Amino acid sequence: MKTFINLYRANLKEYVRDRMAVFWTMAFPIVFILIFGLIFSSGNARLTIEVAVINPDNDPISAQISEGFKQVPTFKLKQSADVEAELQALRLGQLDMVVVLPNGLSKSIGDKQTGSVQVYYDPSATTIAQAGLSILREAFNIAERAINHTSPLFSIEPQQIQTKPLNQVDLLVPGILAMSLMQLGLFGTAQPLVALREQGVLRRLGATPLSRSTVIAAQVAFRFTLGVAQSVLILSLGNALFQVSIGDSLLVLVVVIAMGILLFIALGFAVAGLAKSAESANGITQMINFPMMFLSGLFFPLSLLPPFLLPVAAILPLTYVADALRQVMVNAPSTTSLATDVLVMGVWLAISLIGAVKLFRWD
Amino acid sequence: MSAIEVVDLKKTYGETRAVDGVSFQVEPGEVFGLLGPNGAGKTTAVEMIEGLRPPDSGSIRVLSLDPKHDLRQIKNRIGIQLQTTALYPRLTVREVIDLFASFFNGRPPVPTDTLITMVGLVDKANTRSKELSGGQKQRLSVALALVNDPEIVFLDEPTTGLDPQARRNLWDVVTNLQRRGKTILLTTHYLEEAEVLCDRVAVIDRGKIIALDSPDGLIRQHFNDTAIEFNAIGSFDADRLRALPGLSDLAVTDQQVTLHSSDVPQTMNGLLDMAKQQAIKFRDMTVHNATLEDVFLKLTGRHIRD
Repeated sequence: MKTFINLYRANLKEYVRDRMAVFWTMAFPIVFILIFGLIFSSGNARLTIEVAVINPDNDPISAQISEGFKQVPTFKLKQSADVEAELQALRLGQLDMVVVLPNGLSKSIGDKQTGSVQVYYDPSATTIAQAGLSILREAFNIAERAINHTSPLFSIEPQQIQTKPLNQVDLLVPGILAMSLMQLGLFGTAQPLVALREQGVLRRLGATPLSRSTVIAAQVAFRFTLGVAQSVLILSLGNALFQVSIGDSLLVLVVVIAMGILLFIALGFAVAGLAKSAESANGITQMINFPMMFLSGLFFPLSLLPPFLLPVAAILPLTYVADALRQVMVNAPSTTSLATDVLVMGVWLAISLIGAVKLFRWD
Repeated sequence: MSAIEVVDLKKTYGETRAVDGVSFQVEPGEVFGLLGPNGAGKTTAVEMIEGLRPPDSGSIRVLSLDPKHDLRQIKNRIGIQLQTTALYPRLTVREVIDLFASFFNGRPPVPTDTLITMVGLVDKANTRSKELSGGQKQRLSVALALVNDPEIVFLDEPTTGLDPQARRNLWDVVTNLQRRGKTILLTTHYLEEAEVLCDRVAVIDRGKIIALDSPDGLIRQHFNDTAIEFNAIGSFDADRLRALPGLSDLAVTDQQVTLHSSDVPQTMNGLLDMAKQQAIKFRDMTVHNATLEDVFLKLTGRHIRD
């Protein structure tokens, strides 16, 4: 036990003094989470449409309609009398829409004539144009019913099936956590282990009375510590900056993360055993890293994958680690149950452990 | 009782017989050298004795123990220095030594400061090991072989790649150990190193021991005479050289000629006569007592570094 602790501390000391290693394991996930978090959270900002309403003759009904527009939360409203100036602003992109109410609206409505409202917009800004036009139509429908004293025949009541509304960042943080655990196994375990072997450090340790299991246990414990540190860092950052929850059950989260860390460390040991040299270790880790990054549903849903890649996604361990984390943390909908995720992770852990033990080499 | 006893040790890699029936004993307190060119099988033999590689056949006893069964016990009582010196590069000299000392149990470890002094790294004690020079790394590596106050120290090519000054520093460390009564098994391909350090030397070539004695004994056994060495210029008649008076042996490799003479004045006279008659031209002549180099040349027909 004493030798295990000494070896563990030496590994940790060696790591802390290696600035590059600290950067890649700790700073890199932070940078990743900041960049993606900022991109997604700004894309998620509420839609606003800047509208200028031209009400030429201060008609009471026109005034009512303008007042009604103010209640539409999506609209940022500007009352104006100068059509030409507002159209120029629209051309310059300072406005999204110009609504021109006709003269004598109260009189034409009293005469049961159709009042023609002119709406100017930029068709190249498709989303805003479509959304703005729909909102306008709806607003005029409401106004018409109010004036005619008729009640609507249908009503739509939106029901969210989500317990909490999810946004992109909510899904992103579990994805980044899953990615970090995988890369801890590949770049943080397989590659350093091959380096230790190639430099003869493992051999030198093997020439002392240390038992081999102590050497390996200290390695695993040290890398497990890194995984825990990474996870805490990512979770607290996601929570502090983007209010991403860590779910209701801390215990389940800890179990899923611990299994993920062990799984990928074991996989890293297996890869290190498989690799003949540092170069081949590099090649193998890249060969594993890329499919896992893009086929495990980390950053976009699996439904966007071409169908022939779905079977690949279905066997990758990271698919299940990421899915489990999303379910536990943000209660994301999933086609696989949490129990299935954990089961598949268990199977992969067993396979990786067998590989790690069978393939391990001291020199 | 011998400190190390090896009988008919064999190890084959594919078609290569790396170690081909090696037997020897090392007595307690002795510095024993395995001398041979690179690839002769020295390291393979030593690593089998250390228990790092299993032999194909043969028997090994280290401190009367069998590495096959009592490896842990043996490792606690021996000190190993390997050819590769890479270790925790970001730990300091002191930290690495402390770490390794904690791996052993049994006798109390040698105090770290004593070890650092012994290998001459006092002013580097708090330097990270990756910032050490090649010679300093080797000395740290020797210090690590000594943390458990071992009864036998294994040094595998301890001075390979070092400059002459660093080599002499390391020899001092070894001589010191010898004075303290340690048994040392070292491998080297430096003849001078074997002559300076070793009580007995086994000359090993292509996996076999071809001679085994003290350095002096080896030289006396093969040459009771003096070597006259020179580089010949142009062609010459080797038979006329062979007929020189007082000559006991002749070795010619390309233009390099080594005459062994039991009567240097007579042989020299004859050689100078040949030169006067223009039968031979030479330069860079040296006259010296035979060395292990001459023994190796005589036994194998090759220079050790060829």
